[in-house]
Amino acid sequence: MSDGAESSESVKADSSRIEARGISKRYGDFTAVEGVSFDVGEGEVVGFLGPNGAGKTTTMRILTGFIPPTEGSAQIAGYDLFSSPLEARRSIGYLPESPPIYPEMSVRSYLVYVSKLKDLPRARRKEAVDKALERCGLTHVQSRVIGLLSKGYRQRVGLAQAIVHEPPVLVLDEPTVGLDPIQISEIRQLIADLARPGEHGGQSVILSTHILAEVEAICRRVLIINEGTLVLDAQLTALAQEGQRLEDVFTRAAQGESIALGREVGK
Amino acid sequence: MRHITSIAGRELSSLFVSPVAYVTLTLFALLAGFFFLAGVLSFDAQVAEAQSLQYTDYLEKINLNDAVLGPFFGVMWIVLLFLIPGITMGLFASEKVNGTQELLLTSPITIWELVLGKYIAGAVFAACLVLVAAFFTGILFLYGNPEFWRTISGLLGLLLLSWSYVAVGAFASSVTRNQLIAFFLALVLLLILWMLAVVADLGAAGGTIGADSNLSEVMRFLSASDRFEKMVRGLVDTRDLAYFAFMISVFLVFTKTSVESARWR
Repeated sequence: MSDGAESSESVKADSSRIEARGISKRYGDFTAVEGVSFDVGEGEVVGFLGPNGAGKTTTMRILTGFIPPTEGSAQIAGYDLFSSPLEARRSIGYLPESPPIYPEMSVRSYLVYVSKLKDLPRARRKEAVDKALERCGLTHVQSRVIGLLSKGYRQRVGLAQAIVHEPPVLVLDEPTVGLDPIQISEIRQLIADLARPGEHGGQSVILSTHILAEVEAICRRVLIINEGTLVLDAQLTALAQEGQRLEDVFTRAAQGESIALGREVGK
Repeated sequence: MRHITSIAGRELSSLFVSPVAYVTLTLFALLAGFFFLAGVLSFDAQVAEAQSLQYTDYLEKINLNDAVLGPFFGVMWIVLLFLIPGITMGLFASEKVNGTQELLLTSPITIWELVLGKYIAGAVFAACLVLVAAFFTGILFLYGNPEFWRTISGLLGLLLLSWSYVAVGAFASSVTRNQLIAFFLALVLLLILWMLAVVADLGAAGGTIGADSNLSEVMRFLSASDRFEKMVRGLVDTRDLAYFAFMISVFLVFTKTSVESARWR
């Protein structure tokens, strides 16, 4: 594992927004995640794939500071998650598997509340909330109570709370689940926009999904995790050059086969 | 600090749009009104009877504080014991159901800010309940002459009691995601705390626990009943104030530990 960490460090030492180093999580005898290391650079959109129970959510929860790893360390936007947790968490937007919502609050008041929690300065709050509402297509429902919105809108509210404070790092756990095809393409467009270099520099996005086409549509790079270990870390272009289809790669990874292509982990 | 006010503010506004708050306030107002009226009517009947029988000694001794407010505060205490768990049950349990626990624990806030924000929201709501009780005692001042400071002391006792109950309720809410379990756990904890002095007395009477043994001392210390009764009689003792501060701190530390433990599961 340490080999993998070193090689990726040399690839992008300066611009990396997420640095995961040998992250492991054990619950008693059960190992959920074992020695996961990777970097995500500025403006990079990384697809995080793996069969159910492979450790995707656990890894994301560790990277967002929700749970501490048993071993290993991580830096978010240059801040160590464990020695300066508040700074690191300020730099993250996180959409968990089930979107966090207060059903009794209105969309707008919820986003204002989140922007306060995330330490967004008062002067920028209104503008930031308006922008998040607009980006997620929520402007026309901003005064409605979240609990009365459809599942698709709640998912968008979840996404809006992740991006409202314009964090440099976004961790999205299945962002398009429960959306209709039109909404899915809107959200994909939004994620692509977030990563595009702009006033805040491109936001770095790591997103987990079960839809392989989604990865092909918006990600440049893919991470595949199986049984807690990272089995593939490759650029999609590298896969294409070798004539590999993502679907085949994923199936082989899920069957526990080691994958010999792209930039293999631990090579 | 500003996180604490944000969290407390959101919690309070959510409380006040939920039916729980209105049901609790209405029930409290109804019960307080009922027991207050019963107390006043029985006082009136006693005075009338004493006058008709010319019991001058009795008429000199009887007063509003002992005859009406003392029993009224005693009953309000029991009412709070049952109602406070109703307002605290959702404090932390609902965050787990809403998935917002993940939002809170991945935000740049400390666990103490979260716990104190939640606690303050519960404490403000409890103060609203005590205000309702204060409203009824205020009526008494319009028609009679109860002792002012003794009444204030009793109300302060009620307030401190309710605040310590909010801390116990917050802890109960932090250990489960089920609001019903949080409610009953808080109720059981409060009933145990309430009964400790009774148990100590019974044990002392039966000889099981020595009247001045350590166990009996501890049980008496932890029980609020003697202290509350002192405050109803108008005695505000710093040791009793320190007791309430102690109980609130202890349960807030428990709550903080319990919320933090979500990270280790």
